[in-house]
Amino acid sequence: MTTAPGTWHLDQTLVRRYVDAVTDAVTAASVESHLLRCAGCRQAIADESADPASVARRALIWEDVVDRLDAPRVGIIERLVHRLGIGAHDARLLAATPSLQVSWLASLLLVLGFAVAAAHGRDEAGALFLLAAPLIPVAGVAAAYGPDIDPAHELGIAAPYRTSRLLLLRCVSVLVASAGLAGCAALALPAAGWSQAAWLLPALGLTLTTLALSTRLSPVVSAAAVALTWVLVVVKLVQLDRTAELAGATAQAMFLALIVAAAAVVVVRHDQFDTRSAV
Amino acid sequence: MSTTSTVVVDEVTRSFGRTRALDGVGFTAGQGVTGLLGPNGAGKTTLLRMMATVLAPGGGRLTLLGLDPARAEDRLAIRRRLGYLPQEPGFYRHFTAFEFVDYIAILKEMTDRRSRHDEVRRVLALAGLAEESGRKIRALSGGMRRRVGLAQALLGDPDLVILDEPTAGLDPEQRWRFRELISTIGEDRTVLMSTHQTEDVGALCTQVVVMDNGRTCFDGTPRELRELATGRVWLSEARAAGVRLSWRTGEGEHRNLGDAPPKGARLIDPTLEDGYLLLLGERALEPAA
Repeated sequence: MTTAPGTWHLDQTLVRRYVDAVTDAVTAASVESHLLRCAGCRQAIADESADPASVARRALIWEDVVDRLDAPRVGIIERLVHRLGIGAHDARLLAATPSLQVSWLASLLLVLGFAVAAAHGRDEAGALFLLAAPLIPVAGVAAAYGPDIDPAHELGIAAPYRTSRLLLLRCVSVLVASAGLAGCAALALPAAGWSQAAWLLPALGLTLTTLALSTRLSPVVSAAAVALTWVLVVVKLVQLDRTAELAGATAQAMFLALIVAAAAVVVVRHDQFDTRSAV
Repeated sequence: MSTTSTVVVDEVTRSFGRTRALDGVGFTAGQGVTGLLGPNGAGKTTLLRMMATVLAPGGGRLTLLGLDPARAEDRLAIRRRLGYLPQEPGFYRHFTAFEFVDYIAILKEMTDRRSRHDEVRRVLALAGLAEESGRKIRALSGGMRRRVGLAQALLGDPDLVILDEPTAGLDPEQRWRFRELISTIGEDRTVLMSTHQTEDVGALCTQVVVMDNGRTCFDGTPRELRELATGRVWLSEARAAGVRLSWRTGEGEHRNLGDAPPKGARLIDPTLEDGYLLLLGERALEPAA
């Protein structure tokens, strides 16, 4: 501002900043108060407003305002995923994943809460939790992708973005989110120590097996088959009173082998996610 | 039909279990709007899904934009130049119209945020949704959702646009808006659309392909389809016997389609629908193979 004893006027920088609407609120109010009684500064504002360079600048500013107004709102999950290093557009694609919605994650938490609560006061404290926890990411993967789940599935297939990339991106995110929740729930189990983490390898094994089967079947069918098999195995072990063996070294080594085998199938057959959609 | 064919369908077949959905369909289509007409179950949607690279043919040859969709790299190249509106497009209902089209734009490899948003605004404006872009999809009417579907199909100015019943469920005013837009798109690219509405074909299409039972039973211009009924449409006071189809019009006369003119009937100019009905009537009367 140009200051002089008793008065001040807008200098060219302030005129330009005011016309471009980039002054702060206090300065803008001060300028407007002055403009009410200063014809010279009003003329300076009018001249600047009519200047082609100023008009072009304002058009750009306006476009930016419109873009900010139109821009999709970034939700909690999307923000979190982006902070973890995923690109903004990939994070946007993840935001649409049905099994990454807050409501889905909240319901998972509820299921895990019930499993933990049921585990308290029982002899086979971890059995129910061991049954439920590995199924959480399997259900998440089934609800992450596919014609039965994703309303925009067909539009996605007809687009050039690789189907396999979208599927794997969603599945990894769902796996991390649901395994994280299950991990937190496991800390509340009455039994302490190694058995609290015994669900982790089965969870990874079952999830990767679901993905491996999804190279041939739909994700929902694959997940249903894996879940059914898992439930039958656990029920049988409960009947035989051998659930503790699931946390044993032999069983855990078997799950590790399952993880390696299923991962190999996914790596070798990942192209099937792209080609199978066109069959 | 066309000197430069964007789409070549050659004896294409496809079965689902024991059902033969396509049984040797064949035609070519180039720049302009080509309409696929046919009754329910004729195989139109199956064929359009193949052209959208969502489904592979069981047999025969399909060429799109000079490329073979059976080859992975060709399929990717086709998808980069393709716009597709499925018969029942699904939406993320918690997204706004802008957010949904933006989501599809990302799937179409538009990664630069600013230019992608400009493109989203452009197609939403084309579809007449500029004022509705911030509304949640669950709050939009069926016609508006259809327009959101059309908007996403126009992203990136595709060379080949596949529209499966784009005017289904629209009121007359919306249908005219759609027709205006589709005809504009078809001026410099290839549009294939299926429809049950012969009015759509008459108003929009440079070429019409009629399908029935998974086969092509007509391939020509709308005028040629209409001319199939020349000399075979009659108006009479009473319902005529021996004609293929006969119904009472709103003006109290009976419109008769067939080769044997009823007594006292007067011959009138046929419509596209007359040609279509007679064509399918003849197919229905053919003895089973």
